[in-house]
Amino acid sequence: MRTVHTTVNGQRVVADVPDNTLLVDFLRSQLELTGTKESCGVGVCGACSVLLDGKPVSSCLTLAVFADGCTIETIEGMADDNKLHPLQEAFIRCGGFQCGICTPGQIMMAKALLEQHPRPTRMQIKQWMMGNLCRCTGYYKIIESIESAAEGTKS
Amino acid sequence: MTAQTQPSEFVGKAVERLDGPDKVTGRARYTADVFLPGMLIGRCLRSPYASARIVSIDTSKAKRVPGVFAILTGADVAGYRYGRVCRDIPILAQGVVRFVGEKVAAVAAETAEAADTALSLIRVEYEELPFVVDVHAALRDDAHRVHDQPPKVVGARLRNPGDLKMYPPLPNVISQLTLRHGNPAEAFAQADHQFQHTFNIPSVHQGYIEPHSCLIAASDDGDVDVWMSNKAPHGARAALAEALSIPKEKITLNPVFIGGDFGGKGGLMDAPLCYHLALHARRPVKMVMNSFEELTAANPRHAASITLTTALDRNARILAMKARMIFNSGAYAGFCPVPTIHGYTAFAGPYKVPNCDLEVLRVYTNAVPAGHMRSPGGPQITFAVESHLDMIARDLQLDPCRFRRDNAIAEGDLSPIGERRQFLHCRAVIDAAIREFGWDRPKGADVGRGIALYEYPPGTFDDSNVVMSIDGAAKVDVAVGAPDTGTGFHTIVAQLTAGELQLPLNDIRVAFRDTGASPFERGPSGSRLTTTIQQAIKAAVDAIKTALTTLAAERLGAREGDVRYRPDGLIEARGKSIDLKALMAWAEAAGKAPVVRHGKNTPTGRSDVTCFAAQIAEVGVDRETGQIRVNFMVTAHDVGQVINPITHQGQIEGGLVQAFGQTVCERLHFGDDGAVISATLGDYKLPTVMDIPDLTTILLPVPTAI
Amino acid sequence: MKPFSYLEPDSLDEALDLLGRHGDDAKVIAGGTALVNFMKNDLVEPRFVIGLRRLKHLQAMTEDNGLRIGALTTLRTLETSPTVAGYAPLLAQACRLVATVRIRMMATLGGAIAYADPALDTPPALMACDASFTVQSRREARTVPAYQFFTGILETVLAPDELVTEIVVPRQPTGCRTAYIKFLPATHDDYATVSVAARVAVADGKVVDARIALGAVGATAVRAAAAEELLAGKEPNAANFRDAAQAATADLEPLKDIRGSPDYKRKMAAVHVVRALQAATTAPHP
Repeated sequence: MRTVHTTVNGQRVVADVPDNTLLVDFLRSQLELTGTKESCGVGVCGACSVLLDGKPVSSCLTLAVFADGCTIETIEGMADDNKLHPLQEAFIRCGGFQCGICTPGQIMMAKALLEQHPRPTRMQIKQWMMGNLCRCTGYYKIIESIESAAEGTKS
Repeated sequence: MTAQTQPSEFVGKAVERLDGPDKVTGRARYTADVFLPGMLIGRCLRSPYASARIVSIDTSKAKRVPGVFAILTGADVAGYRYGRVCRDIPILAQGVVRFVGEKVAAVAAETAEAADTALSLIRVEYEELPFVVDVHAALRDDAHRVHDQPPKVVGARLRNPGDLKMYPPLPNVISQLTLRHGNPAEAFAQADHQFQHTFNIPSVHQGYIEPHSCLIAASDDGDVDVWMSNKAPHGARAALAEALSIPKEKITLNPVFIGGDFGGKGGLMDAPLCYHLALHARRPVKMVMNSFEELTAANPRHAASITLTTALDRNARILAMKARMIFNSGAYAGFCPVPTIHGYTAFAGPYKVPNCDLEVLRVYTNAVPAGHMRSPGGPQITFAVESHLDMIARDLQLDPCRFRRDNAIAEGDLSPIGERRQFLHCRAVIDAAIREFGWDRPKGADVGRGIALYEYPPGTFDDSNVVMSIDGAAKVDVAVGAPDTGTGFHTIVAQLTAGELQLPLNDIRVAFRDTGASPFERGPSGSRLTTTIQQAIKAAVDAIKTALTTLAAERLGAREGDVRYRPDGLIEARGKSIDLKALMAWAEAAGKAPVVRHGKNTPTGRSDVTCFAAQIAEVGVDRETGQIRVNFMVTAHDVGQVINPITHQGQIEGGLVQAFGQTVCERLHFGDDGAVISATLGDYKLPTVMDIPDLTTILLPVPTAI
Repeated sequence: MKPFSYLEPDSLDEALDLLGRHGDDAKVIAGGTALVNFMKNDLVEPRFVIGLRRLKHLQAMTEDNGLRIGALTTLRTLETSPTVAGYAPLLAQACRLVATVRIRMMATLGGAIAYADPALDTPPALMACDASFTVQSRREARTVPAYQFFTGILETVLAPDELVTEIVVPRQPTGCRTAYIKFLPATHDDYATVSVAARVAVADGKVVDARIALGAVGATAVRAAAAEELLAGKEPNAANFRDAAQAATADLEPLKDIRGSPDYKRKMAAVHVVRALQAATTAPHP
């Protein structure tokens, strides 16, 4: 058992976690932040993507103790009060989701992309988002959503 | 095809989906996101053998693991068999295992860790038995019989043409469908050309990102609360009631979001086992399949072996086709909700085939049981038919587009399986695809082009119901009997309701609450829901309007016959008028609101309207490696009135990329013992955003009517 | 995942102490992309997991007799670093093709090496860069050339108490050009069916220096020394490349798996050796 000091979506969190706890389980079970999803369990699908010190990680392959001293951003922290983030708005506007299970991971990954490349090319979007699988949309509207969000935040 | 909907501000508009805010914020709650006090985690021990007798199971050590509340083996759930149509699935293996991955024992414990530790301490002694994993081998007289006895069969009805035999006297055959129309023997005797090809199409997984999951709480007085990833909760409740031998009134399926279905989440999967664990442990139990279990032991699409024989005249007109389609159903038939594989109804659907002879077999093998996936049988049969036609065209030195166009079905033709259809726009769809693609433009070296056609009628089977209510604030609630699995179903219901009532979309709320608080709905299946629920909505709106008319007559002091709905939204009678809000406020004050009405649609028979699609792909081929890259695709569709362009296009794009995956990169690989060896998403390759082709979609809004 | 004790040393000495003490009972964790997977499936069940994330100096690169890459440097850093692009463009090229960007942000070069999966992209690239690895324990520090490091599937020369601390890549000799080809017939995020790293220097119309290494062609990545020798002094033309490919692949024993039969993989390895040599010798000079 270790004590983890972390900041989750801007809130200080101090929690005791067993050493072998995965970050995804810490978030979902212990902090009840179930917006982060788990699917493939091997870092391929991207449903569990969260940002650790601003950097995307597969929380299914990350030990919870790695969060000690770090900030964590999850989908629950994207909206500001009830004002959706431009990416969230764009995913709704463009139909960048269907069943929604991959959507939190897609949005967290896209957030990290836009922080690094505020106006990404289509190829940059595809290369960056390659690790986030979606079975419903065929991806076309996810690309469109990210492009739309980037255009909206240009000015 | 077209929906006969009143044009409205909202029908046909790309309105944002109602479930958007929940889904982009992480608030949307899926089964795995539900936590109950005292909840345990259920996990399974699975068979390492394709076929074996269970000699003994020793759970004594496992029982001593701290935190373990229940351990079940086959003996604890003897006597139960469940399944859809064929009741052949044991809750846990009964003395024998029939595929690698079959559930043998189960544990419910306080943590997944404790459950896994307990599983690792269960000792099972097996005696290996012969097994068969190839369908052709399974059909031989001397083949190992996967099941000794046919199971109980319930509701093996055909909605479609054909003669069906369940469990005929053939080795390992679950069902045999035969269908003949015209005189194929005579046609073959007169043919100038005959071709025969066999296609073996591997199995693929539905690939939903949310694995099968369920959470069940059973109270001491017998009430059962269920949360599960199932597309059709009412059907699941009835199936669960039967599987568990408890009255369905005792079971409630609670609303949860569904993380992708694609046909794969219509069955019970772990729910019967989860219930028994909950019962034994006297605690709620949650079971979430992991990705390994999903890929190796869920209910993927059927692998198929399809032999096609076609007779043509000297002008390359198809005279007759024979087809023998063998579907590998794996070790259990009960994952399929129908007795045969319905894809045969769209067999050669885009073509005029005057004489046809068809046999469809479902065959048991010692492999993972196959279930339903988006257009069951459709991709397998279409791949075979379209490849067969390409090979014929190549042999006869014909352009594959023109060859198809010349043989395309047209108004007045019967379908290949002898059904009468109308609004047959097949040629228009081919022409649109060819035009957009530029079929005749020059192409580079090592570039191939191909066209394929598809035909699929909207499903018009089983009841749809809505319960519609309008309250004192003139807000409308539409209760439906199924969740929105991601298709946009609820948004479409809201649009249709808003259109019928001429109300703003914001005033409409659509929800699936739970099975107790919602009317029966068959759910999404065979492209039926938009079509079938539309009539239920109309019926409910008519009933609501009748009630409003009565209220308005009373309020305005007029006769009901005098009440009129004006285009500006006011309700008028004998020179007086009132708006809906005022009327409903009055009704509420008078104790007459909310007004609640039920709308039901019981479709009568199979639709004679159908839709066509034509797709052209340009493919780069690496001759040294055999690698192909799909560079560019055109997909053209015969559509009626599009209710929501966002969700409509989403279905086309998602379906296309699934087909792309099945063709280019996805495949369940099996070992010699029938075990799935592509057992993680590292090895089972779903298309990524980097892999998809450039795509142009053409919609042909052809005015027809249902 | 089975229980373990997580230890987080503050210094390399402390880390080596822990490794020395716990030896076989311990596993070192960096990015975790490989080890966590293994632990989740009970393929390894260490009693102690030693986390290295506090060893900041192992996350840095220094130039000192070559580029010394701290073992904890992520693949993403290598892929985007101008310094790496200058010293060893081949390494950057290979890193760019590993899995997906999220995994590359987590996974480290030292981790990839110690993991020793034969299908990884970095081992053949490092071999063709003439890289060597600094391996430390409380007993000693030693240097192992990349091509001698891997001994089998998931097996290396590392003793239980040893840690890869840095990867030393000499500056690419002038005149060299490189290519890394990862054959991905299914999806872009897949493991290689086969991969080839090539570095070639041509002067006066003759190959003066060649490095060829292959991945996913057997139990370990392999350096094709025979092919390198065969090319030396020859013209960089298709016939000579085909001969080199033959020499590079004749003795390979690829593993049979879902990505192909041994025979197919051997053929594909030969095709891609030719292509990598062609790509390298026609690439613009750095």
